[in-house]
Amino acid sequence: MNLRHRIARTALIAALLLSSVPAAAENVLLTLTGAVTDGRVELTRADFDAMDWHEFATSTSVTDHQPEFRGVLMRDILAHAGAEGSQVRAAALNDYVVDIPIEDFYQFDVLAALYMDGVPLTPRDKGPVWIVYPRDDHGVLADIRYDMRWVWQLVALHVQ
Amino acid sequence: MTTRQEWIRYLGLGGLVLVCLGLLGLAAWQLVQLERQMRIGASENMIWVFGQAQIEALNLALTLSDEAAAQQIQTRFDVLLSRLTLLEEGPQRRFLEDAGVSETLADWRSGLLALDPAQGADMAALRAHVTALVAALRGKASLVMSHEWQIQAERLDRLGHLHRLALVSVLGAALAGLGLAAILIDRERRLMRGRLDRLRAEKLAGDLERERETSENHRRFADLIAHQLRTPLAVIDSAMHRLTRRGGPVSPELVSEKAAVSREAVARLVKLTDTALMMSRLERDGVRPHLGAHDLHDLAAAVIDDLMVAQGRNPSRIRPPAQAAPMVALCDPALTGEILSNLLRNALLYSPLDCRVDVEVSQSQTHIVCRIEDRGRGMSPEEIARAFDRFHRGSGHETLPGSGLGLTLARHLARMQGGDVNLTQRAGGGLTAALYLPREVSA
Repeated sequence: MNLRHRIARTALIAALLLSSVPAAAENVLLTLTGAVTDGRVELTRADFDAMDWHEFATSTSVTDHQPEFRGVLMRDILAHAGAEGSQVRAAALNDYVVDIPIEDFYQFDVLAALYMDGVPLTPRDKGPVWIVYPRDDHGVLADIRYDMRWVWQLVALHVQ
Repeated sequence: MTTRQEWIRYLGLGGLVLVCLGLLGLAAWQLVQLERQMRIGASENMIWVFGQAQIEALNLALTLSDEAAAQQIQTRFDVLLSRLTLLEEGPQRRFLEDAGVSETLADWRSGLLALDPAQGADMAALRAHVTALVAALRGKASLVMSHEWQIQAERLDRLGHLHRLALVSVLGAALAGLGLAAILIDRERRLMRGRLDRLRAEKLAGDLERERETSENHRRFADLIAHQLRTPLAVIDSAMHRLTRRGGPVSPELVSEKAAVSREAVARLVKLTDTALMMSRLERDGVRPHLGAHDLHDLAAAVIDDLMVAQGRNPSRIRPPAQAAPMVALCDPALTGEILSNLLRNALLYSPLDCRVDVEVSQSQTHIVCRIEDRGRGMSPEEIARAFDRFHRGSGHETLPGSGLGLTLARHLARMQGGDVNLTQRAGGGLTAALYLPREVSA
């Protein structure tokens, strides 16, 4: 990862943290920037609740069993934010940044999970949001190139 | 080759095929294994995972020493906690157990949880705990790294081993294939040699048979000619004897009569010699037809005239073809004359002296046909079937002059011109001999 990425990531997280301090009461879970409605869309728990929820069980690369994940589809989130682009740069609380082609979200039912095994995800585990691919339904997803896109502690999406 | 040896050969071949297929199957299975083991899983990325835990510990230590905002401290605290939680989970915990670093990490996590800033923990105690954690993680990072590389190196060893096995299997299969190819080529060569030997033997046998047949034909021909020569020679001898007999003077009438008898005998001798010469030339393929457009009416009429003149026969016995439209055939006039002369002579010879012989010429789509019909006693279908054989004489006609070659010759000459000769029973008794010749197309 080059320096430019590192600066962009730090700026993204800083902007997020700074903005989330005053907005803490509203409990913003996910911030979308870039090619979205008005350049910035903030999603609170209430926004998530207003969308269709989905759930499935799948194996993961970091757990032994097949946890049951519950949340909303990534493509629904992008539609909600009026995103127009070919990829998103996902950033996590732990400074993890990865680019994901938006095509993934239409090809597979990729979940923005808020619950694992019925327990809400928190920043102390893999919350607030964990991007989960239906790994067991498509053989092609059991691959390091997709494993890298399972972003946990997701807080920001930059659409480009 | 005995049956036992042949069995051994087949078993050897089958064994080689099995070995070849078995080795290829083994190689395929090893390649599938190789492909499976070559996938990279995220769980193998432990250097990164452990490194991230280290970084988060450092981040929290940094945030604490900067006396940053409580929110920021809380975030870094949560993230570090999540990292330690991750190391506690299934695949990661097993890896760390194998690397010998796991037992203490659980204590570090519970120690950290007890100092949760959200619960108003003592910041100094938290800072001390995190600083100690950073040092502990640093000490274990090299263990994690060496364990990970150990695993990767072992995996590469396994892949290399599989790869070598697959290579050996393929080479073995190639060797077996070479053996198979050698055996098959050897077999094919033997078969080919056997086939050539058989062909050569067959050709030799054929040559011998033909030689025998030719020699037999020559012998029969010589017998026949000798026999046929005897009769006219005897006639001539008898005539001469009569003329030179001691006694009274010879009357001019007797001389004339004996001269006529002698001349007929000589004519038969000449005819016989001509036929023999023609057969001999045909056998050497020395005759080439000179094809041209000729009206069969004219050819038939000329032949009839010649016959009458040469033999002094009663001309009214032959009814020549009625002159109608021209019947033009593509033929050689000399050969066609020979055929017609042969057929006509047969018809005259084998039917009673007072019976008529009809000659008529007609045409079909493709051929001009000349039919010669006699009113003799005819032939049975079996006799007709054998009539064209060389030296075959009609039953009951052995005493009549003839070489047994006439019909053979006639058919042979007709076929040389693209036509044919055949015999059929005539309705109302007798025999019909038909000569077919191709029509002259432009006519």
